[in-house]
Amino acid sequence: MIPFHVAKEKEMRAIGIEPVHGDELQGKAVKLIHDYRNLSRSLSVMLENCTRCGACAEACHSYLGTDDYYNIPAARAGLFRRIFERYCSWKGRLIGRLSRKNAFNSRIVGQWAEYFYQCNVCRRCAMFCPFGIDTGEITIAARNILTQLGIAPHFIVGIGKNELNTGNNTGILKPAIMDSCAFLEEELREETGLDIKIPVDKPHADVLYVPSSSELFTNTDTMLGAAKMFHFLGVNWTLSSTILEAANYGFLFDLDIMKRHNRRLRIAAAAIGAEMVIQGECGHGWRVARMLSEGANGPVTFHLTHILEFAAANLSKFRLVKIPMRATLHDPCNYGRGSGLVDAPRELIGACVEEFVEMSPNRELNFCCGGGSGLLMDEMKDLRMLLGKKKAEQISALQPLDYVALPCASCKAQVPLVLKHYGMGEIRTGGVIELLGKAMVMGSIGGNG
Amino acid sequence: MEFFVGRILPYIAAGVFLAGTCLRVIGWLRTPVPFHLTLYPVPVKIFGKIWAFASEFFIFRTLYRHDRVLWLLTLLFHVTLALTLAGHLFGIYFLREQFALFGLGPGASRQMSRILGGTAGIVMICSLGGLLYRRIAMPEVKRLSEPENFLALLLILAVALSGIFMYLPGYHIDLPTVRTYLGSLLSATPLSPPRNAPFVIHFVLVNILLLYFPFSRMMHSIGFFVIRTMLLETPPVYPTPANTRQRSVFAAKKVSPENPASSQTTFNREVEPR
Repeated sequence: MIPFHVAKEKEMRAIGIEPVHGDELQGKAVKLIHDYRNLSRSLSVMLENCTRCGACAEACHSYLGTDDYYNIPAARAGLFRRIFERYCSWKGRLIGRLSRKNAFNSRIVGQWAEYFYQCNVCRRCAMFCPFGIDTGEITIAARNILTQLGIAPHFIVGIGKNELNTGNNTGILKPAIMDSCAFLEEELREETGLDIKIPVDKPHADVLYVPSSSELFTNTDTMLGAAKMFHFLGVNWTLSSTILEAANYGFLFDLDIMKRHNRRLRIAAAAIGAEMVIQGECGHGWRVARMLSEGANGPVTFHLTHILEFAAANLSKFRLVKIPMRATLHDPCNYGRGSGLVDAPRELIGACVEEFVEMSPNRELNFCCGGGSGLLMDEMKDLRMLLGKKKAEQISALQPLDYVALPCASCKAQVPLVLKHYGMGEIRTGGVIELLGKAMVMGSIGGNG
Repeated sequence: MEFFVGRILPYIAAGVFLAGTCLRVIGWLRTPVPFHLTLYPVPVKIFGKIWAFASEFFIFRTLYRHDRVLWLLTLLFHVTLALTLAGHLFGIYFLREQFALFGLGPGASRQMSRILGGTAGIVMICSLGGLLYRRIAMPEVKRLSEPENFLALLLILAVALSGIFMYLPGYHIDLPTVRTYLGSLLSATPLSPPRNAPFVIHFVLVNILLLYFPFSRMMHSIGFFVIRTMLLETPPVYPTPANTRQRSVFAAKKVSPENPASSQTTFNREVEPR
């Protein structure tokens, strides 16, 4: 059973995709599989070399949480491999002439949609596989093919469309952005008594800050922390109304949308004249910007850094009063395994709270929270609670705990629900920059920007 | 029959093995890697990379850390496999007197060679038994296992058993005859194979193994390098240095974010120039 609401045909057309029907399905799918195979080496190599040893089973939070055989990474990949070998291997093409087994049909579409949308693309299986097979790559390939066939979650397609049209997930336009920023500036004035700006589309700024758009509405403390930090350091920074979103949902279902959203980054940076782009707290968004920008749109002309790296590099300049709490850090998958951002958040939290404890396993081996890869739709909530089971166990082992630091917008949406579901609703959650903002003493020597 | 098995089959097997394996590897390598797939923690310096590669290749570090039983079984199997292959090469060429090169007497060298070869063979058979048992006894792995996984294990087990059979009294094979025969194959003037039942069975099974190799999961011996190379790639540096090679055509294709709903996509449809 497909666990999400499938986008309507009209919605698919709005992102430039013509859904495929009936007889065309197999031919189109086979062409798409071949196209993807020629696009990326990872698909064929990672499908063809699995020896089915089972070392990945215990690695996958999805399998450990749901106990569903097809959520074992090797079995999940096997759903693709059967089809792939049928159409792309010598053996398969020979057998394919004789038997109709493993032909691509609507049943396969359903199976793929069900299981490739229970994978969070967290890459933990690649850490456990003796060959390093990354099932996330296979998941992304399968989702891309499904999308081109016209099958994708309503939720993700909606966000993709917003990213295409406005450059952010929520689809807000410049007037609303200005409103939010004015409101947040007012909050900052009340809190600190200082005139701290949150500039939008400021020309000739040195730094373009690309937050998660949720920082303007739900995770506002993260934006406040960032604004305070930039103000204190005297950074000439700005937001851009054309790319107000570090997240890049295209990466999770349509590489074409990924490419376009990623392209906004360089256009905005060039328009502002920013030499440095700082990405906000968003997991997969950081991986896409950090690891995929060059591959998606060619040479990059600006410096790129993450707000946590930037803050950690300036840590000695801040005046901090440690917050009396016991806090832990959840390593978002795309920070740990995906881009090696593990030390900066630890340095920051260590400096901002009185007691910092590590969850186990941590750093690159940390479990996914279960909210990654765009599975935040309401209809998948029950399933997501299963995907978050390992995370709940990890956090529960650290009790009593005051705070779980989640430097990723998806984790910020998922973990509070997990904590509530597993009876730990009293633990507070939030970003790392949020902690920095709260621990920071602004004082009168403030910034000059 | 003897003519086919002894003088034709080896060439077919070697041809299929070499051509098939090369074609598949070339097929992998011809495809671009459009994005960095670096999996952290990744060493940046060259010695770190060599260590990361070598520790995975020689001691299966990932398995050692996460699955000790599987690690022991696979390590024993692969090490004895490597020893056995080397043993065949040197043992047949030097007629078991290879250790004389290290100062042993000819008799002692032959003795040493027999002991080492026999031990390696028995350990290999035991580890294969262990791997087979694992596939049957662990419910998850049993369900994951496909017929081809068993086929590969059983085929190698049969090769190993038929090989170790020649250690039994009464079935000993005359090594100089084998060397003469294999030499005749290599020099493209094939003689008839030695008339020794265990040898012929062993030889035919090896040929079947070679024929099957390019179509099987045993290709993981090479795929390992292809995958690990992708995961160990040095992450990109920004701003991108001049003269950086373009990773794939995907990066060069032009799209405009201002015009999203036009029916252009980058990997399966025509792209209009910007």
